[in-house]
Amino acid sequence: MRVFRREPALGLTALAMVLLMVLFIVLPQVQVVVAPGLQGYVTFFSEGPNWVNATWNSLRIMVLSTTTAVLLGFVYAYAMVYSQMPWKPFFRLLAVLPMLSPPFVVAASYILLFGPRGLITYDVLGQSPNILGLYGLWGVQTIAFFPYAYQLIADVLARADPRLEQAARNLGATSWSVFRTVTLPLARPGLAGAVLLVAIYVVEDFGNPALIAGQYTVLPTLAYGLITGFGDFAGAAVVSTILLVLALALYFVRLQLEGTRGGSVVTVTGRAGSMPRPPVPRAVTMACFAGCLLLATLIGLVYGVLLLSALVEAYPFNFTPTLRHFEYVGAHFGSLRNSLVYATAAAIICSSFAILLAYIVQRKSWRGRGLVDFMAIAPAAVPGIFFGIGYATTFNQRWLDWLDRGALIVLSMIFWNIPVGYRAAIAGLQQIDRSIDEAATSLGAGSLRAFRDVLFPILHGPFTTSLVTAFVRAITTLSVVIFLFTPGSAVATITIFQLVNDFNWGGATAFTVSVIGSAIAVLVVLWAVSGRRVRLNELSNA
Amino acid sequence: MPDAHVRLVGLSKRFANASAAAVDEVSLDIPRGSLTTLLGPSGCGKTTTLRMIAGFYEPDRGDIFIGAHRVNDVPAHRRRTAMVFQDYALFPHMTVQDNVSYGLKLTRMSGDECAKRVRSTLDFLDLGGLEGRFPGQLSGGQQQRVALARALVMNPEVLLLDEPLSNLDARLRVSIRSELISIQRQVGITTIYVTHDQDEALAMSDWVAVMNRGQVVQWGTPWNVYYQPRSAFLADFLGTVNLVHAPVLSMQPGSITVQLGPQALEVPFDGDPPGREALLAIRPETLTLGNPIDEGGLALRGTVVRRTFLGHVMRYAVRVADQEWLIDQPDPGGASLADGEVTVIVNSRRVHVLPDAAE
Repeated sequence: MRVFRREPALGLTALAMVLLMVLFIVLPQVQVVVAPGLQGYVTFFSEGPNWVNATWNSLRIMVLSTTTAVLLGFVYAYAMVYSQMPWKPFFRLLAVLPMLSPPFVVAASYILLFGPRGLITYDVLGQSPNILGLYGLWGVQTIAFFPYAYQLIADVLARADPRLEQAARNLGATSWSVFRTVTLPLARPGLAGAVLLVAIYVVEDFGNPALIAGQYTVLPTLAYGLITGFGDFAGAAVVSTILLVLALALYFVRLQLEGTRGGSVVTVTGRAGSMPRPPVPRAVTMACFAGCLLLATLIGLVYGVLLLSALVEAYPFNFTPTLRHFEYVGAHFGSLRNSLVYATAAAIICSSFAILLAYIVQRKSWRGRGLVDFMAIAPAAVPGIFFGIGYATTFNQRWLDWLDRGALIVLSMIFWNIPVGYRAAIAGLQQIDRSIDEAATSLGAGSLRAFRDVLFPILHGPFTTSLVTAFVRAITTLSVVIFLFTPGSAVATITIFQLVNDFNWGGATAFTVSVIGSAIAVLVVLWAVSGRRVRLNELSNA
Repeated sequence: MPDAHVRLVGLSKRFANASAAAVDEVSLDIPRGSLTTLLGPSGCGKTTTLRMIAGFYEPDRGDIFIGAHRVNDVPAHRRRTAMVFQDYALFPHMTVQDNVSYGLKLTRMSGDECAKRVRSTLDFLDLGGLEGRFPGQLSGGQQQRVALARALVMNPEVLLLDEPLSNLDARLRVSIRSELISIQRQVGITTIYVTHDQDEALAMSDWVAVMNRGQVVQWGTPWNVYYQPRSAFLADFLGTVNLVHAPVLSMQPGSITVQLGPQALEVPFDGDPPGREALLAIRPETLTLGNPIDEGGLALRGTVVRRTFLGHVMRYAVRVADQEWLIDQPDPGGASLADGEVTVIVNSRRVHVLPDAAE
């Protein structure tokens, strides 16, 4: 702690940040875990709801959706990096769309397309099937989450040195054996990372199962049902704790993997990107194109039907064009505005907090920084619904009534997204030689001054990445805020969720289109202001 | 020795997980206004010592004085020890002007005064006209000078240079080296210079502290450390050397007589008696081939084994008795190239008896 004794301002800053994290990250989570008490756990496990079934369902859908999402992600990534197929910019853009929208809109679209009155099932095929349940959820989550797998795998594939494959060809390998013996092993860390990342997203997904899983109850929907149906916060706490344990286990396997293998297997060379890859056979390129086109069509359908439903009188019965659904947006404009204001505030505060924290943790040596590092990355493993229940149980108290609920929502968005900015900043700092800070120090700048004048401007890139990612995650989250809002502080995702539950499809889709539209508008403004194109694949680096 | 500006007393530092101390009981008095070099192989503790003076590392034990003040507890940004880094560490997002004025602005100096100081420093270092450039738009040599300007403009107590020339190509290194010397002489600032390059150390320094394994193993003028190294390690580290074992015949006050080949040679020496055998260090350029002219000289017979053309000298390997000696001959074109049986002439005033023969 000598560092802090010499620079009290730095020490006080660090202390304040640690206290805030204890209050807004550690406390709410501990609260959830201990709230039911030992007796609560015993009662729950012996005579509570069917948690075994929900856990089993969660695990099963995790395996199914993760497998297909990663498989599709790999095909998409391989096609984008290796093949000579046309329309790559178009495919790249389409794959970003699901990341920019609340994940459960895929479920909504699915109902519009394949439901009892779906465009395809009813209007085209004349069927009215019951689509609720496991298979629908499986398909929806596959489409909703494969883009994350694609981004991660494409990143790893693109960084692999093409010379390795050229060397294999040079030694006489056919293109199939190059794929099997070089490409695939090189992609392994990316694949493993993608599996674990997608698995976490699937396990903690609340919106999609809530809309289309029907009787197929998973852990997040069980927790939600216990609270809204029975007011059973203790039971919900136990269920979310099971969920937390599952997500934490996945997350730490992922960190372990990235720490040990992620960097070392793939040869990262500065020039790798500039060197052309050996061409893949023409048939492979054609197959890639066909596959991507199919996926792109699916995504196009998902968002197309949303737009269609928002713009017609009464989808799917009356296709007369109208703008009347956008009146709902006007009527509930408050929640759209809340979304934008809260997400913007949260993104700015979260990114600034995280980057300063990363500086103090990575650049200064003091006892306890390992623990603080853990606190900063842990929220990434915490399922949104768990985080939300934690805030609800900890801060929904009478003596805190003076606190605006909007502020509480912003706080939850800030601290839930800390890992996004923190990891980006740590990665950025690792690329800046320490002599840069030392130069500022030797010219008379204290640590905080050196951070402000020198490191922060150089970390411009990671900061922008963090802003964008935190903003998108904050504006699209439903599970974190579902237990926190009050009528005055509802956000867009909640309004959409309620409209869908009321079967007000026109209003829900008009609202969704508006949210996605304003999210894109904010990103465009941010690009214009920062003067740097944010690489959207960084969105998956949560 | 003139009055010490920077004093290190029993300075020690061991890094976590390291088996040996990085810096082990280093004590040095660095004279005011001098250019003092910490010279040594990589890992010898020279940079660690410099960084402790700058305040970037905390010593485990020992004291650092700058002038009359003990600075151990002064944070790095208050020490007034401006540093020039190996990779320059220019702020990439600031122009040359902003880089150089950065430190002055922190002192809340008035804008006019600050501009004037920056102006004159840039002119002094021949950087006029580059104020608006960013570091990425400058050549290596220019970046080097900007880094120096940024440190000098602060008018620091002590200027610290951490291998500042190692990123430049050989030709530029030599020209900037002489520039650095002349700037240091003009400004008269106490300068501590870290390098692993013995040519640089010899060419630039007033004083040299040679370090090895965390300790200062020799302290002296460049002449002193080059011609009178304490040990075989030092003799070898500072340049090519012939290390010759010679039986001791007798000792007199101020000199010693050893047997070299068939003859006796009296060489200056005033250390502890070396025992029965002495280890001699003889630099190749102090040896000549041909006829003994000087009365202090000694002629030995030998056979040329091979020769290597190094540009500024022709280096002969000559077998004398059962050992190969290296002999550097400048201007080899004057005589025809030596071959076969030759005479090696030893200048007794340049034969040095190593006091620490054991090392």
